[in-house]
Amino acid sequence: MTRKTLAPALTHALALSLVLASSTAYAQAIRIGVNEPLTGAFAASGTYVVNGAKIAADEINAKGGVLGRKIELVIEDNKSNPTEAAAVAEKLITSDKTPVLMGAWGSSLTLAVMPKLADYETAMLVETSSSGKITTSGNPYVFRISPPSSLEAETFAPMVAKLGLKKVDFLILNNDFGRGAAADFGTMLKGKGVAVGLVETMDQGAQDMSAQLSKLKASDSDTIMITSAVDQLVLIFKQMAALGLKKRVITTGGSQNPDQIIAQAGSAAEGTMHLTTFLPWFPEKTPNPQATAYFIGEWNNRGFQFAGVTESFRGYDGIRAIAQAIEKAGSAEPAAITKAFWSVDFTGLNGPIRFIKAGPAGKESGQSKPDVYLIEIRDGKVAVPTL
Amino acid sequence: MAEFYQHLLNTLVLGGTYALLGIGLTLIFGIMNVVNFTHGALYTVGAYLTYLAVAALGLNFFLALPAAILGGLVLGAAIELVLLRPLRGSDIDTTMLVMIGAGIVLQSGTLWLFGGVAKAIPTPFPEAPLQIGPVSVSWLRLFVLGAALTLIVLTYVLINRTRLGLAMRAAFQDHDTAALMGVNVRLIYTATFAIGSSLAAAAGALLGPVYVVFPQMGGMAELKAFAIVILGGLGNITGAAIGGFILALAEELGAGYISSGYRDAMGFLIIIAVLVFKPTGLFAKAERIG
Amino acid sequence: MTRLAPLAVLAGLGLLPLALGTNPYLLNAMITTGILIIAAMSLNLLLGFTGQLSLGHIAFFGIGAYVSALTSLGFDVDLGFGLRVVHAPWPAAIGFPLAILAAGACGWLVGRLSFRVRGAYFVIVTISFAEVVRLVALNWVELTQGPLALTGIPAFTLGLPGLGTWTLKTKLQNYYLVLSVGTLCYLIVARLVGSRFGRAMRGLKENESLALSVGIDATRTLTIAAVISAGMAGAAGSLYAHYLRIIDPDVFQFSTTVTMVIMVVGGGKGTLLGPIIGGVIFGMLPVALRPVMAPEAQWMVYGLVLIAILFVVPKGIVPGLAGLVRRRAGPAPAPLAAEVHP
Repeated sequence: MTRKTLAPALTHALALSLVLASSTAYAQAIRIGVNEPLTGAFAASGTYVVNGAKIAADEINAKGGVLGRKIELVIEDNKSNPTEAAAVAEKLITSDKTPVLMGAWGSSLTLAVMPKLADYETAMLVETSSSGKITTSGNPYVFRISPPSSLEAETFAPMVAKLGLKKVDFLILNNDFGRGAAADFGTMLKGKGVAVGLVETMDQGAQDMSAQLSKLKASDSDTIMITSAVDQLVLIFKQMAALGLKKRVITTGGSQNPDQIIAQAGSAAEGTMHLTTFLPWFPEKTPNPQATAYFIGEWNNRGFQFAGVTESFRGYDGIRAIAQAIEKAGSAEPAAITKAFWSVDFTGLNGPIRFIKAGPAGKESGQSKPDVYLIEIRDGKVAVPTL
Repeated sequence: MAEFYQHLLNTLVLGGTYALLGIGLTLIFGIMNVVNFTHGALYTVGAYLTYLAVAALGLNFFLALPAAILGGLVLGAAIELVLLRPLRGSDIDTTMLVMIGAGIVLQSGTLWLFGGVAKAIPTPFPEAPLQIGPVSVSWLRLFVLGAALTLIVLTYVLINRTRLGLAMRAAFQDHDTAALMGVNVRLIYTATFAIGSSLAAAAGALLGPVYVVFPQMGGMAELKAFAIVILGGLGNITGAAIGGFILALAEELGAGYISSGYRDAMGFLIIIAVLVFKPTGLFAKAERIG
Repeated sequence: MTRLAPLAVLAGLGLLPLALGTNPYLLNAMITTGILIIAAMSLNLLLGFTGQLSLGHIAFFGIGAYVSALTSLGFDVDLGFGLRVVHAPWPAAIGFPLAILAAGACGWLVGRLSFRVRGAYFVIVTISFAEVVRLVALNWVELTQGPLALTGIPAFTLGLPGLGTWTLKTKLQNYYLVLSVGTLCYLIVARLVGSRFGRAMRGLKENESLALSVGIDATRTLTIAAVISAGMAGAAGSLYAHYLRIIDPDVFQFSTTVTMVIMVVGGGKGTLLGPIIGGVIFGMLPVALRPVMAPEAQWMVYGLVLIAILFVVPKGIVPGLAGLVRRRAGPAPAPLAAEVHP
């Protein structure tokens, strides 16, 4: 053993003996770090994801855990702030010794965590972020189950002709989420011979979009594609109704919570279409009806709002994917888990979870290919449009 | 041309609420020399009180609004009594930081109590908008505009036509002399802060149903209120009212004809321009504070 | 004792990693806190010594971060009118001085524009400036990548030509880098405050008309202070960019300015040690609260602690402690804050 490897080896031995000495029952639990926004701008969504994750952890533990050990979620708030997200990752990995993470909801939060993953050679399952950069920047510790907007656009492509789109305007959130969607859908649409008109942006906290909508009303397009989270969508639909703006609306991004839209925007949401990644309204149409029914039942048992399931199912699937990776790794070591992610294969609530390689050769990230569905709000209910 | 008229109508509707937001802040600053960093949080509280009254207690919408305004009045008085009265005489930075602390507590408190999921407040107004030729506007927003203008006029009357208003103006001009003349300055300060707070709560109560209610809604509202107040000149109520409409116009036209990404920048650019060319605001009176 | 206190603090901070071991999480918190303390010290120069409350200080910090990051990453921007600027990546060590220069230049601009007004007007102009800069960073996608964030920012590399280079990759190295830059900034502020220029600044703060009557040029003095302060904040921003290795327009968050102000005023504005003591307390408070309570409750405690400090020691912790020591020791020269506090 050279001098170089001696010191870490000694530290490890010391740490190990400390862990062994200090604990009996808890040492058995395998800890999973959860890095989500619980305060700040994304508090609502982050809380939903965490609640979904807890359901998965309880279910797994009730069935005897993983590798004969219980799993324990170490949940930390990243305050919707990238600097905090990086700090939290640091804490989870080094202080709580979690061998694998899930996080961090928004793309800028996830991007901030990624250098830490490389530093500590610890994998993170990315459950929500949509930026293309996450899987193309050569970080082999990233495994994503949410679709990047390019994948969403690709899945939507066959529906373009059936819907009869001719000219599309965009109204997007002014961040990676919105801009990514406008770029990827724009390219796809142009390839299909559909004209792309205005691209209007709005700030994350913006509440009044009347100016943008007035401009969109005056344009000659037939469809508006909107990318934002549910709260802003509600406002947009109400304000569209107030302006008498009647064009086809398709939202992207999978953060729509259609039930919340119906409850809060009322008839203003009538006829709007949404690209979602989960169909909780029709458990029988989902890829894994049994799991969907269990998840929704458990969600309701715990008294959570039904509207949250379109967000929280990702936390549920994320933890299940991590648990399977640990199972396949045969140990709770970071390196083994990272490697084992490549052999994860099961049917999640929104399609198969199986990682394919993405990004520069040699340093590929993992990307799963979930299903994407188009739904429509009809008579105050969620319906699947007939195309 | 229809688009331009629609922008003008939007400006009118938006401007009314901006003006209401600005007036509460400028009143407190003008009379008490306090930069009120709880303004945004009080706006949020006003919206949540309306939500509670309508959704939880089942109160009539038109009764819920005054209830929320009253709530803002009481909370404002409490903040003044507990936090500001003991600090009277300390410098503007100290009171401002205490207000920042109180704002953090109020905002995280609402998140704690209500969670982060946005709430919608149901209203009795029809969803179909009012069509006027090529432009249209929702009935709710027309009501909000009317209510905002009424509150602005009431505030104006209160300040200029009542004994309380006279005492407030006296305290504004010279609080030592006012005290010597027998004005109860301590009471005036409490009343001023309570009234300013109730105006913030009123803005939240009126805009909550128009938008959605969530714990961070006050952040941007607060920054905009600052912009409006500066535009109109600190402490100038008429100025704040006009400032609200100017900011709304700049945002509408900026987003409509320049770039929607810079919509929120318009207000700040105007502030910088105003302060470079006319540092005391567009409608400043002779007095200048601070 | 006046001279010993800063040395004791420096020695304490220098030895802290040894005492804490190499817990990377704590070290990380200390580095980010340290970077914020540097920014708070620069804010103290304006707020504490000239009495001008800048609530847009994060703008200079963010500009420093972006300039430094873009210098080391390179960019290719079309400015219109056929003007195209292409910049190849340079080492991070060059980004650092450029960040200081760029932030300082912005400080000059803001100073020229805004020192025509005082008090609350000045506060709001600075807020506005920061918001405009944030919106430019968000919308000028070609240069800043907008919301997509600048990623892959290289770590600092120190070195002299011919002597080899040394890349600051580990936490410990970064900690001592931040500590060195912080010490340097402290010395600059201390030197400045003790000079003739420092007396001019304080003169303006205490009695502007009197200061003017003895021939102090207010706008010039304040502008110079703003340039130095902004440059220092830019240095902190550069450290931040190369330590975190990713920045996005969120670095301009208003709440970060609030944190800086809390550090300065909580610790004691217009004292040399105030921002450091206040910075350590308010920088580490979230770390201490994290394991014991719910996230929303942590923020409430943060707000309540701020209010409590302002009520118990309105001038800040350092002057408060100094007063306490003075009362105990009888009429001795005031320690810590004596030189500089009115």
